[in-house]
Amino acid sequence: MLIFAARRAITDIVNNKFLHMVSIATIALSVFIVSAFSLFFNNATDFLDAWQKGIRIITYLDDTAAESHQADLKQRIESLDGVAAIAFISKDDAYRDLQQKIGQQSSLLESLDKNPLPDSFEITLADSFRNLEDIEKLAQTIAQLPYVDDVEYAQKWLYRFSGIYNLFKVTGLVLVSIFFMATLLIIANTIRLIMYSRREEIEIIRIIGADEEFIKYPLFFAAVAQGFLGGIAGILMLYLAFALTIPNFAPETIFAFFEIRFITIRFALTIVLCSMIIGWVGCYFSIRKFLKL
Amino acid sequence: MYPDQENNLIIRMFNVTKRYGKMEALRNLTLDVRKNEFVFVTGPSGAGKSTMIKLLYHGETASSGAILVDGMNLGRISRKQVPRLRRKFGVIFQDFKLIPTKTVFQNVALVLEVGGLKPKEIYPRVMEVLTYVGIDDRAEEFPPVLSGGEKQRVAVARAMVGVPEIVLADEPTGSLDPESAAHIFRLLQAVHRSGATVIIATHDQQMIQNHNGRVVRLEKGRMAGPD
Repeated sequence: MLIFAARRAITDIVNNKFLHMVSIATIALSVFIVSAFSLFFNNATDFLDAWQKGIRIITYLDDTAAESHQADLKQRIESLDGVAAIAFISKDDAYRDLQQKIGQQSSLLESLDKNPLPDSFEITLADSFRNLEDIEKLAQTIAQLPYVDDVEYAQKWLYRFSGIYNLFKVTGLVLVSIFFMATLLIIANTIRLIMYSRREEIEIIRIIGADEEFIKYPLFFAAVAQGFLGGIAGILMLYLAFALTIPNFAPETIFAFFEIRFITIRFALTIVLCSMIIGWVGCYFSIRKFLKL
Repeated sequence: MYPDQENNLIIRMFNVTKRYGKMEALRNLTLDVRKNEFVFVTGPSGAGKSTMIKLLYHGETASSGAILVDGMNLGRISRKQVPRLRRKFGVIFQDFKLIPTKTVFQNVALVLEVGGLKPKEIYPRVMEVLTYVGIDDRAEEFPPVLSGGEKQRVAVARAMVGVPEIVLADEPTGSLDPESAAHIFRLLQAVHRSGATVIIATHDQQMIQNHNGRVVRLEKGRMAGPD
């Protein structure tokens, strides 16, 4: 029975090429959009995570801080909650570092009378201390300590990014739900159209003694096949788009700490499985309506 | 054993009425058909011949009365039993009812696929029947390219391939030229000789007069008696 169903489903797909192609293309597009969002979220989550891991609070000291004050300040900062490590960067080290970074333009610095850079502490945060509010509180506490001139960290940028991320998250969820429903309706309608276009054939098959399974199985098979092919095509489209666009961004030169990754095989398989299930569900609803005796 | 089987009756209709809205297509029809009987159901257009055929294969359900086919009460069978009932029949229509997207072979083979036969069993059986009706050379053609006579031969092949107990033919020669009609009729007689009960709904009086068979005449949905 199942072999017949598969054979008849393949024949149906070949006989109704256009209808099935439209359906597969629409599923592929939905899968593409849904998995593109997932790709964005996965990478945005990784990016935020990596960025937060790399967060350092730079504490600039004022010029009046003597060595003893610096040692005292270092001790006080070390004792604060969330501080994993603290490193002193003298103004001379900072100057040399700046010279290296600006390379050929370093001659500009030679025109300065004195080193304008202050001494500073570079504070590495504990792994458990990644909450933006906590980081902000810590920065404010440090800023109020004596001999601290200024405190700097990637506060605004992070806030803005996580704001966009959250907005995308909500929009993405809404869009994913809409595309899920759209895919379901498209498959259900395609099956209904196929059944409508073949209502005489179905009637003939019934007259010669076919049971409902004989009529239903090929349709289910075709719907699941549509889901499978649409799912695979959507993932391939995403991979193609990813392979063609991401290398042009040269992300490694922008974010040394972060590498943009494609969706995992497991996730891709889950998406394909989901689109097959959507095919089955769409078929179930349209068949239930159509085959009522 | 059912009393019907003792009496060798394969079809029993008791006071069968079929209404479509207010219109009565059949009224209080009572009829018994014995196994391997050859029956002509005749009458003018609108007499209820096609309705009677549809009621027998459960294409329609009776508004009142009872129909028994080989001991199965059609008023009481479940949806799941309908396919089993229909496999007792081979049905031939005036408009052939072939599937245009399937080849001649596939159209005929479908009956055996529905019956659950394996492909290696299906192929020789279908080819044997196609050869018998004289259409084996067109096995890979699609119905739209066949002539009316050829299409009806395919329909006959489809009706007989499953070796049904009853063959129902609704105006089988209605749209055919005399030569093709004679050929189809000879095939139906052969089906009858092989042991099947054959019921032909027709208003072709010449066909009825030229061949032996019991004649049931319907008029305005009522039994008008034998001719």
